[in-house]
Amino acid sequence: MSSEFLLEIGTEELPASFVTQALRSLKAGALELVGQARLGTDALEVHTLGTPRRLALRIRGLAPSQTDRDETVMGPPWSAAFEADGSAKKAATGFAKKHGVAIGDLHKKTTDKGDYVSVQVHEAGEATAIVLAEILPQICQRITFPKSMRWGPGEISFGRPIHWVVSLLGSHVVEFEFAGVRAGRATRGHRFLAPATFELDAASSYEAALERAHVLVDLTRRKERMMEGLLAAAESLGGVLAPDAFLADECVSLVEEPFTVPGSFEESFLELPDTVVVSVMRDHQRYFAVRASEGGALLPSYLNVVNTAQDPRTIAKGNDRVLRARLADARFFVQEDRKAPLADRLQKLESVVFQSKLGTMGAKVRRLQTNARALAARAGADPAACVEAARLCKADLETLIVFEFPELQGEMGRWYAMREGIDPAIADAIRDHYRPQGADDVVPDQLVGAIVAVADRIDTLVGCFGIGLVPSGSADPFALRRAALGIIRIALEGPIDVDLRELLDQAHAAYAGDAALAPADDVRASLEDFFRGRIRAMLKDAHGADVVDACLGAWDGSSLRDLRSRIEAVSEVRAAPEFEALAVAFKRAFNITKESARGPIDPALLEGGAETTLAQRFETVRNQIRAATGERRYADALRLVAKELGAPIDRFFEEVFVMVDEPRVRENRLRLLGEIADTVNGIAHFHHLGTKLQGRDPSVST
Amino acid sequence: MTFQEIILALERFWSERGCLIVQPYNSEVGAGTFNPHTFLRAIGPEPWNVAYVEPSRRPTDGRYGENPNRLQQFHQYQVILKPSPLDIQDLYLESLRALGTDPSHHDIRFIEDDWESPTLGAWGLGWQVWLDGLEISQFTYFQQCGGMDCKPISGELTYGLERIAMYLQDVDDVYDVQWAQGIRYGDIYKRAEWEWSTYNFEQADVGLQKKLFDEYETQVGVLLGLSDKKGKGGALQFDRMPLERLALPAYDAVIKCSHYFNVLDARGAISVTERQRYIGRVRLIARAVAESWYAQREALGFPLLDTLGTLGTGTAAQ
Repeated sequence: MSSEFLLEIGTEELPASFVTQALRSLKAGALELVGQARLGTDALEVHTLGTPRRLALRIRGLAPSQTDRDETVMGPPWSAAFEADGSAKKAATGFAKKHGVAIGDLHKKTTDKGDYVSVQVHEAGEATAIVLAEILPQICQRITFPKSMRWGPGEISFGRPIHWVVSLLGSHVVEFEFAGVRAGRATRGHRFLAPATFELDAASSYEAALERAHVLVDLTRRKERMMEGLLAAAESLGGVLAPDAFLADECVSLVEEPFTVPGSFEESFLELPDTVVVSVMRDHQRYFAVRASEGGALLPSYLNVVNTAQDPRTIAKGNDRVLRARLADARFFVQEDRKAPLADRLQKLESVVFQSKLGTMGAKVRRLQTNARALAARAGADPAACVEAARLCKADLETLIVFEFPELQGEMGRWYAMREGIDPAIADAIRDHYRPQGADDVVPDQLVGAIVAVADRIDTLVGCFGIGLVPSGSADPFALRRAALGIIRIALEGPIDVDLRELLDQAHAAYAGDAALAPADDVRASLEDFFRGRIRAMLKDAHGADVVDACLGAWDGSSLRDLRSRIEAVSEVRAAPEFEALAVAFKRAFNITKESARGPIDPALLEGGAETTLAQRFETVRNQIRAATGERRYADALRLVAKELGAPIDRFFEEVFVMVDEPRVRENRLRLLGEIADTVNGIAHFHHLGTKLQGRDPSVST
Repeated sequence: MTFQEIILALERFWSERGCLIVQPYNSEVGAGTFNPHTFLRAIGPEPWNVAYVEPSRRPTDGRYGENPNRLQQFHQYQVILKPSPLDIQDLYLESLRALGTDPSHHDIRFIEDDWESPTLGAWGLGWQVWLDGLEISQFTYFQQCGGMDCKPISGELTYGLERIAMYLQDVDDVYDVQWAQGIRYGDIYKRAEWEWSTYNFEQADVGLQKKLFDEYETQVGVLLGLSDKKGKGGALQFDRMPLERLALPAYDAVIKCSHYFNVLDARGAISVTERQRYIGRVRLIARAVAESWYAQREALGFPLLDTLGTLGTGTAAQ
């Protein structure tokens, strides 16, 4: 039974994101170096633990000692090492000496490049403690942070200053030094509740010993304890906890032992919009909100996760005071904001820069109105409502409350608009035009909101691409990828379709007089590529990259819903058993006719049998397929193709040789297959689809 | 504890731990960091332990004396420990005890808060310190100052004196804080807040501020012999030898520029694009001063390396 190993690095308070990243890199580094050092066993188990003040690593299942190593080491070329008579040259004696063996232990090894000297090296494994002492400094150096800092003499860089290091294998200290600190068995408890240094007797007693010292070192356990406390406290206040995953992660990473202290504020603050109260508590103070019931009204209370609660009344009193001042500020902002209607802020947007080369927010808002009007006409929405929503959608950026709480943009605009008596459809659109904010967010579900959302995003995309601000690698400061995805999702999930090509030209035209963009054709071309890339990335997991590519190939770049219909149709037929053979046949037809000229089929040149059957069958259904394709009934079109052409085209390829010597017959056959390929390609490019039979297809090598 | 007793307690506490107790700077600064006892002394290898009150001006934070929490001029208590001792957090917590606050009976939290002064070309990593949910201090390990890497590292502790006083005296309005027995903060500063807010937001002469900014900016170049030409990689070039440069008067001019910029900002006289340019201009002259100061200290053989090397902070000796 091998011993458990423990490493603990004690630091000053690390930020939450630092602990997460540090533990991840610590674990990866440990796994790699322990493996390289031949200390692993099948039972190896590497686990990390951490609080704001410590990063810890526990390894179980270490081998009692390093495994032995037998290795063949290659030396110099044989001819350089030995004379023809077999006597050793300098190179041979040197090589033997280096590995501590006699000349007689050197072997000849024949390789592709000739004969070489080799030697069998046996290295006995060292005791685990000795090997650990060697690799631990490297493991510690592998720890990374979002930002590192120096302190004191300024020689060393880490997430925060290091105070102590514990390194125990079983009950023995594995000695090493990191960042100028000698590892030992002394650790510390909670900063305030158990500040004294104390010694650990063994690695295995770590968690229990720290728990006695008021530190729950396991994040999962700490979080469970915190959530229990929060839920119980909410209940004792007669309400329920307003769940907040982000806040929970944040709070648990700020404490070593979580306590919950409830506090309260004057009920009159509940006249503020809920979102404001919650934002004040969450952003400024990291308090949890409490509601009367799930999704119900806010209670004038909050829950505060703290690190010590020796004197909860004092703590609550102090926090109450801070919150009261914050809420009073917010109330002042809202009162000030309401002194003038939203529309009064439009003037201020004239002096806010949207992007230095693209002009002001005022100009952007005017373009949004133009874009919204065009989109409304296309979608059959009320143009006046859409234009008014576009006009007002950015006005709240100039309110005091949004200046203080930027994440309330849209929400507050809606709230103020409702209180001004503005049409609720417009008020909702002010909020909804920011949706979707990310992959998990919903898209606007009403026409006006969806139209303004698209108008806003396309303006940003066209403007940025028009001045060469194109995302590269991880750099996407204007979140253009998210903007494009937003448009795609609104078209596919929301209440309006989007004609991408038309939209791009519309948005480009709207910039006339505002900014000097690259020509419309160039911007459209690069953005079409960009959108295709986004569509591919978004849909490939659900439908398969090949299906998306096949449909993108046939799509004209206009209606996004048209593209979706194609993808759904191909996905559907792909599931059918006869699909495989069909796909292979159309690929053959496509490949063989890639270079050949198109033209009318001459029935007189058909030689009967499979060829005539295929030609006749195609003649009867061609118009039906094309009609279905034209009407975007792609599933119908593909079903027709499968039903009517599947068997005949298979038989054709089995029985008919296309590339005959007689040029007219050959050309006629190519024309027939070319027509068929073009008809099917109008739906989706089947040659992009992966097929299992692909490798065995003989006709592809045209 | 009255406001002035808080100051006296901190003075005594840090004095007993080996800090020089110096005085506020006699020009308008936005924070204690601007005081040359911090900005310049954080540069270079010489140790430095210092503490002082700094009346700090933030023109945009003025509220005409009507907001119970916001002031255009407030007081920081600034402590610099260079190199930062390993027990700097413990020292700080002890200083709270000196203010009559037992940290273990409150909720004290060190919340990540990285600090950056774009105009000074300075940044550091550290925390805000929360006392029962109230931010009472900033805690920063300086990494760069005037665009130069710091080594050793200075630990900067900045106490927000008004907030601490409001907490200790249990008042909700800063103007109700007792400065001394029988005299309130409002008695001294309420009228000043109204006058300065009115000046900063409404009456400051924009043309004059812009002109002063330009003039002082020019002065920095003259006093340092700063060349228009740049060296390799944008390195600053000087036409004067280090000891011929007047780094301290030049730094005064930097402080003036920073202040006029703040007034112009409060006055709403700077557009977003102009803003970046102004900040860049101040950063450049701050860097020229920082580099000149370093060159001077080097030319003088870093005279405080030995004399103050033993000063330490008493309990902080490692």
